[in-house]
Amino acid sequence: MIRNQLLICAGGACITSGEKSVKDVLVEELARNGIQDEVQIIETGCMGACDLGPIVVVYPEGTFYQKVNVQNAGLIVNEHLVKGRTVGGLLYTEPTSERKAQTSGDIPFYTRQVKRVLRNCGVIDPLSIEEYIARDGYFALGKALEMTPDEIIKTVQDSGLRGRGGAGFSTGIKWKATKDATGSPKYVVCNGDEGDPGAFMDRSVLEGDPHSVIEAMVIAGFAIGAATGYMYVRAEYPLAIERFEYAIGKAREYGFLGKNILNSGFDFDIEIRIGAGAFVCGEETALLRSIEGKRGTPSIKPPFPAQAGLWGKPTLINNVETYANIAPILINGADWFRSVGTSKSPGTKVFALVGKVQNTGLVEVPMGTTLRELVFDIGGGIRDGKKFKAAQTGGPSGGVITADYLDMPIDFDTVKEIGTIMGSGGLVILDEDNCMVDVAKFYLGFTVDESCGKCTPCREGTRQMYHIMERICDGKGQHSDIERLSKLANVIKDTSLCGLGQTAPNPVLSTIRFFEDEYRAHIEDKKCPAHVCKHLLTYSINPDKCVGCTACARQCLVHAITGEVKKIHVIDQSKCTKCGSCYEICRFSAIRKE
Amino acid sequence: MELDNVTRPAGQAQPLSDEDKRFLRELVETNRIEHHGRLSYMDIMFELEHHYGNSLPGPVLGEVARLLGTSPAQLNGFVTFYTMLSTEPRGQHVIRVCTSGPCHVTGAPAILSSLRQLLGVDIDETTSDGMFTLEASSCLGICGVSPALMIDDDAYGNLMPEDLPRILDAKRAGGAR
Repeated sequence: MIRNQLLICAGGACITSGEKSVKDVLVEELARNGIQDEVQIIETGCMGACDLGPIVVVYPEGTFYQKVNVQNAGLIVNEHLVKGRTVGGLLYTEPTSERKAQTSGDIPFYTRQVKRVLRNCGVIDPLSIEEYIARDGYFALGKALEMTPDEIIKTVQDSGLRGRGGAGFSTGIKWKATKDATGSPKYVVCNGDEGDPGAFMDRSVLEGDPHSVIEAMVIAGFAIGAATGYMYVRAEYPLAIERFEYAIGKAREYGFLGKNILNSGFDFDIEIRIGAGAFVCGEETALLRSIEGKRGTPSIKPPFPAQAGLWGKPTLINNVETYANIAPILINGADWFRSVGTSKSPGTKVFALVGKVQNTGLVEVPMGTTLRELVFDIGGGIRDGKKFKAAQTGGPSGGVITADYLDMPIDFDTVKEIGTIMGSGGLVILDEDNCMVDVAKFYLGFTVDESCGKCTPCREGTRQMYHIMERICDGKGQHSDIERLSKLANVIKDTSLCGLGQTAPNPVLSTIRFFEDEYRAHIEDKKCPAHVCKHLLTYSINPDKCVGCTACARQCLVHAITGEVKKIHVIDQSKCTKCGSCYEICRFSAIRKE
Repeated sequence: MELDNVTRPAGQAQPLSDEDKRFLRELVETNRIEHHGRLSYMDIMFELEHHYGNSLPGPVLGEVARLLGTSPAQLNGFVTFYTMLSTEPRGQHVIRVCTSGPCHVTGAPAILSSLRQLLGVDIDETTSDGMFTLEASSCLGICGVSPALMIDDDAYGNLMPEDLPRILDAKRAGGAR
């Protein structure tokens, strides 16, 4: 008889924080107490709160233990399970009220979320198809196979679901176009090439609830008339590949994939194709070329993949999060889906909250939630009591949302008005210590590396922009540089073939729009207000604080610091390479960085 | 550290043995059957890398191109397009430091410079003992615990420069894969 269940988060982030060794301790302690048959340990997908990991939840109580490690994991068994006493030290303490949260229901990070896409992540064992079925899994498939393809497509269209990969195109229209296209065979493709830096919702869905994507792909195949599906996933996600592959095998075993699915006479199967570190392959036409065994370079649209995709045949391509929305829509209906979100962007969106925010992780909220709610209510505000400066959205294709727009509801259309995009949902939170010129330069550097080279404006233009950004950060900026950047940016946007080039200048344009003063400080005053750009910094020693401990002088590789023991030290500016190691080592805060 | 235990990546100049040729033929044929004629080039490349010490030697690619019915130039174009594949010899373990946005703003540059110092190599270089190749990677998708890196298939997060020697030592002690 099982009396308790221990759910351990085995998402990618918790594994790096030591989930496996915590599990080993739990298994060992259960055996030592002779209760291994009464307590079941289940490794789940991502629970979302990455910075609290490893997380262990004890059921039926739902007690939420966070930051569990090998030293204290035994307490969960010996105190909670054996003696019936909650382990207070492992509970989450709400920072403002200092109240201890017993369950995830007491933690603001969780209470404000609406879990639809992530409905099973962190709840079930992703390797167990039975647990997926117990949560209404494959029910939508059964229902769909009794509907006509047109009825399915109409439901998806009525729901107003828009592609979660970033472009926000109507999923229903895409399905209809692929179904109506002439040519056979047709293909279903899932874009799991989640390349936007800072977005990891697709990874979590593939790792935590792989069957939800398989089920939706089968439904899509039935709706458009395809018998083959391809899951394209990045090699950077080995765990997602492993779990998805396992899930495919199980689905075949249970008759949800393969010949004559659920006795309907419909055949469908899925193959995994792996990407290997090319960002541009997230662009749909490039991804299709990559599946075909070619270089992943984009092609001109039209023809759209719906008309001529894989091997020139009609192909439906949606992203992981989009597919994860399909089964609940078919079960609950289009109106249910529209019950949350905004009228033009119905449903929920999963955001990856990362950077300088207190609570990092994955959060699913209704479309139209404000940045303030995301950063302050759910995210718990900025780390170390610093000031919020901006949120970088849409990765290298996006821009920034500043403090002035904290109360703007976020959906596909609103953020476009201020020059950024929602993208796939990465929200990198920046604080006062981040230099916006450096951030823009960084994202631009990313596209310079990832440009496939096909279009000259993207390949050469971004490089020229990067050179200008570099000289601004090096203190060699010229007065006309801002104008030059804007001009070049618009040429690149207008003349590049694919989304990568068309959006590559966005981080620069967006930061110029909102932080022109920071650009001017770099160019005119040769100062980096956030003290990030190395060449614009001056390190000096505050004579009031220096105790003459000699630590900095010994640390300095170029011997730029002189001074005797217990005497005030001095930095020779002509020798200083601005490496910052003196600043790091000084225990008396005597090094000034200006 | 014992240098004898290090598997040397197959050199570019080494000619293919009959055994190599048989291995390649079987690899391509198995792939052809598994994928119903729509071959998965990437699976072939990863299996080749696994077999030939984390790299794709020129003569091997030439033979594989022949088996795939494509030209060596086409296949080379494919291989060099994808940053995770390498035609250059690499070490036993490939360290991929995430240099994406979230990791950049939370300290990836410091991690990278520490690794450069500890290993004595720059990005895309291999340590002289053939143990590690250092690479910069695009987003690893564990941004919640940034800065992060991956060694082979194992990910490490919430890194501080002082954590690195322990991680490297553990990998070294683990020996060959």
